[in-house]
Amino acid sequence: MARIELIGLSKSFGAVAAVKDLSLAIEDGEFVVLVGPSGCGKTTTLRMIAGFEDPSSGDIRIDGRSVNDLEPRDRGLGMVFQTHALFPHKTVAQNIEFGLRMKKMPAVERVLRVREVADMVRIAHLLEKMPSQCSGGEAQRVALARTLVTSPSTFLLDEPLSSLDAKLRRELRAECDRLHQALKRTFIYVTHDQEEAMTLADRIIVMRAGEIVQIGSPMEIYSDPVNHFVADFFGSPSMNLIVGEIVQMNGVVRFRSSPFELTLPGHLGSVRIGPATLGIRPEHVGVMTGEGGDFRLAVRLVEPLGRDTLLYFDPGSERAFVAVSKGLNMADVKVGAPMALSLDPQRLYLFGADGKRIGRGPTQLVD
Amino acid sequence: MITKSRRRRISASVRYVVLTTWAVVAFFPIYWMIATSFKPDTQWFAWPPVYFPHPPTLSNYLNVWFGAEQYAATQYAISSQKPLISLLNSTVIATASTLLAVLFGSVIAYGVSRYRILSETRMFQLLMLRMIPPIVIVAPLSLYYSALGLLDSMTGLILIYFLTTLPYAVWMTKSFIDEVPREIEQAAEILGATRWRTVFEIVLPLIRSGLVATFLFILILTWSEYLLALIVTKTQVTTLPIELSKYQGTTEGRVYGRQAALAVGITIPLMIVGLVIRRHLARGFSFGMVRR
Repeated sequence: MARIELIGLSKSFGAVAAVKDLSLAIEDGEFVVLVGPSGCGKTTTLRMIAGFEDPSSGDIRIDGRSVNDLEPRDRGLGMVFQTHALFPHKTVAQNIEFGLRMKKMPAVERVLRVREVADMVRIAHLLEKMPSQCSGGEAQRVALARTLVTSPSTFLLDEPLSSLDAKLRRELRAECDRLHQALKRTFIYVTHDQEEAMTLADRIIVMRAGEIVQIGSPMEIYSDPVNHFVADFFGSPSMNLIVGEIVQMNGVVRFRSSPFELTLPGHLGSVRIGPATLGIRPEHVGVMTGEGGDFRLAVRLVEPLGRDTLLYFDPGSERAFVAVSKGLNMADVKVGAPMALSLDPQRLYLFGADGKRIGRGPTQLVD
Repeated sequence: MITKSRRRRISASVRYVVLTTWAVVAFFPIYWMIATSFKPDTQWFAWPPVYFPHPPTLSNYLNVWFGAEQYAATQYAISSQKPLISLLNSTVIATASTLLAVLFGSVIAYGVSRYRILSETRMFQLLMLRMIPPIVIVAPLSLYYSALGLLDSMTGLILIYFLTTLPYAVWMTKSFIDEVPREIEQAAEILGATRWRTVFEIVLPLIRSGLVATFLFILILTWSEYLLALIVTKTQVTTLPIELSKYQGTTEGRVYGRQAALAVGITIPLMIVGLVIRRHLARGFSFGMVRR
């Protein structure tokens, strides 16, 4: 059982504030993902929870008890490191056994427990090998087993998959998910990969420059971003963001930008006049081969992904305007030729000059 | 027109000629020492020089190391020689002081590497200590030692060797400890290991090749140290370098053959140690480390 509370947590390294007044409660058994670009303070936060960094101010509580003065080994946590950090001079079995030895578990029990955990993460065949003989994915499984074996109340995972290739990453992601389901322990997972965050988390905590930007379920974060940063960070390909301004013409509120101009739908009708950024996710852009649509843009690049096709249009700026299209007849798509595009009015986002979302209505869930 | 392969062959030949010449220059004194140790006394000063002992004899070795009676009676016998005892003294003193230096040095180095217990300036000052010529400290040292009753004792020599080589040990081991990723230690820590446990079970085993290299380096220093041994010891505890010096410029004249036999005996233990731990010395430090 572990409920973790961070209360007004701050950490500065000299003049640099890595984490600023962060408050957060993580419920028992929850899978929380701290996500953000590098340098956003997510790893520092995790290391403070682990006890490797002392907070400059603030309180860390595990099950209501302040642990600021406890050594890492006395906090009852387990941690998996980015570099897996296996002991290179010990065999896989000795690596896994290490935590049990520190707990003074009798040798016979240790052997059984190591076996059990090795089976759980499917590395029983590696037990006699040295870490240097394991592949990246295997090493990370060993690291996971080494943490699992001590049955910590909470698992801290610091970008555990970032050194692996895409396929292994997916595989181990599923493994993490499975373990979380099976163990029903608290997981705090740090990553800069939005896809990992989306697939694993019960709750995502988006961080930027040492502060929490948004907390929410993956769907909330995806479909109801609080600002330009979150909207841009989540989703692959990213949300299309077009810089322009909101104008009023003949009593109609319109968004005007260099590539196009359109009338804003009802839920965005009451926004203030001035500079703004319009956002729409690629999957909500309709592509038509004939006439019609809201505006026309020239095709810059076509990326067939099998089931879907990514179309990159030229909006006159460096960043392409992207649309995901299904079942498009490729014969109708020519690079350089303009195509008609329509934007789903219910899926439009508007961000003010300060980056904050404007006209944010009730949560818009994507189906 | 010189072709590429021809040019390569010429440059290889030049390289080998230079290296071979240098090897001859470097090894000749060693060869001369070994050859002399097998020469009968008539050939020590012979002119033209005798390059190959003829006939080779073991008398120098027997005389020096075992003080055999029949040789002791000759004009070249030296009454005070006791090389076997010196060999024992040297072994104990060099090994003990080196072990102490490496042990304490690595623990201090760990503190410097991880806790910055010494600032950069202090670390540099530590190294500067070694740059003080030993002759400078000899007079005060002998005063202290005489007051403390450490003159002419193994303890005294072990202590001074330990202290004078400690800076090397700290500097060398620190560079190895710096290479051990913090995360490996933190992994041990969060799994329940205390700091000391982490150092002795994780960090030091990981840098064992580095420790071995440091050990050998310091062992060579202490094994062949002369000046401090000369001042601190008188008659009770002599080391091999002191013993070696007795063969030159004394009333007995120059007994090159005996001296060479002793010198060979001094060299061999170091060569054995070097061979035994060669595997560690040669092994790259990065062996088995975390892939980054």
